[in-house]
Amino acid sequence: MRSGIAALIGAVACSAIALPATAHHSFSAEFDANKPVKLQGTVTKVLWINPHTWIHILVMKPDGTTEPWEIEAGTPNTLFRLGFTRESLKNGTLINVDGYLARDGSHRANGRDLTLPDGRKLFMAGSGPAADK
Amino acid sequence: MRICRGRLQAARLQTIAGAAICVLALASIDAQAPVGERRGAQARVEGAPRAFKTPWGDPDLQGTWSNQTLTPLERPAEFANKPVLSEAEAADYEKRLLRNNDADVRAPGTRQDVNTAYNNVWWDRGNRIVADRRTSLIIDPPDGRIPGLTAGGQARAERERQIASSNVEEHAASWLDFDVYSRCILRSGLPRLSTGYNNNYEIVQTPGYVAIFQEQIHETRIIPLGTQPHLPGTIRQWLGDSRGHWEGDTLVVETTNFTDQARGSVFRNATKNMVLVEKWRRVGDRAIDYQFTVSDPETWTRPWTVKMPWNRIDGLVYEYACHEGNLSMQHMLEAARAAEKQAK
Repeated sequence: MRSGIAALIGAVACSAIALPATAHHSFSAEFDANKPVKLQGTVTKVLWINPHTWIHILVMKPDGTTEPWEIEAGTPNTLFRLGFTRESLKNGTLINVDGYLARDGSHRANGRDLTLPDGRKLFMAGSGPAADK
Repeated sequence: MRICRGRLQAARLQTIAGAAICVLALASIDAQAPVGERRGAQARVEGAPRAFKTPWGDPDLQGTWSNQTLTPLERPAEFANKPVLSEAEAADYEKRLLRNNDADVRAPGTRQDVNTAYNNVWWDRGNRIVADRRTSLIIDPPDGRIPGLTAGGQARAERERQIASSNVEEHAASWLDFDVYSRCILRSGLPRLSTGYNNNYEIVQTPGYVAIFQEQIHETRIIPLGTQPHLPGTIRQWLGDSRGHWEGDTLVVETTNFTDQARGSVFRNATKNMVLVEKWRRVGDRAIDYQFTVSDPETWTRPWTVKMPWNRIDGLVYEYACHEGNLSMQHMLEAARAAEKQAK
């Protein structure tokens, strides 16, 4: 048991160390690590702007009303290079957002994981190949 | 997204115009020169290595390039006495690095998880180590590690560590509390290492100048070639002041006059008096050997040198219009003000 806990702690420590470098700015200054948020909504607009793409969605609330949310994502340059265009994420597409809520309480979140309703990752693609050979 | 074609096309037109004038001028000279001495001649024996020359005879570095690599700057402890890996070791190491870099690994509820920001598709670090399988980008000192810090260097590094650990961005009073990257001024002070994405560069040459456009964060370095002296020491610039010349086929550029007026504006907490010497040498159709040496006796106990490839990419370099789209700065400051109100 003890070794199990040690292994768990080790695994957590390793995964923490293994987490790669951060984005353009400190996301924890904009979003709250204590306020994870899961949303489902339909895309109304995608701002293909640097330094971060913004995906606007309309979330259907349990009472039947809707609420606009803005989701922060990565640099469009990388997506464009991978072949994505402004047509790739059409208005009306239903997406799931697993992220963190804005620290000031606004209806904004970071798109830590973005998936389609069937679980497929949004923007599925591999890392760009290095031409280093 | 807007693509930065206008500016680069303008630069290309200048290049073409410059080249055309140069070719016309040389044509009259070359008419009397022995064949073997003609400058800019592209003729070569079938099968012989291609000479990469501009029409006016300078070594040709032009094109779009990426410096992405998985190879770490410093040699990891596990390879302390192993500067180069075998092919099998390299394959295994690449696999491990890709696994460790996997941003899909989650640590829910932590600052780190928030800061990792989004899943792997948004990152573009490449998937290979350098072709010569070195375990560090640093080639000098021979141990592949950054040399020791001076007392001043240690103090500056410690101050930056304290600022970073205080999460200053979460209670920032103004944009001045942020580093040059968050402020969309620079990705970081020169020289540039490989980072998470947009590791792309376009080199354009004219007679007398080399321009290097850095995709992130949209800066263009315009480097005059020749013997003119650096700017006076009182004039400081975000990208420093660069002067270049050719040594054989190698472009050698010395950069001085850095500025330390914002966090992150000088490479790795060095002083604004740091001297950077960079070298670019075309080693194939799709490869440039890039090396730099940084010297700053106020920071490091000795100069140190990095060697890393710039590999050709087939696509364009895109504009990274950082400042005009930097909604994040507004949001971070709003968050800090909201936190203040809540604390009252």
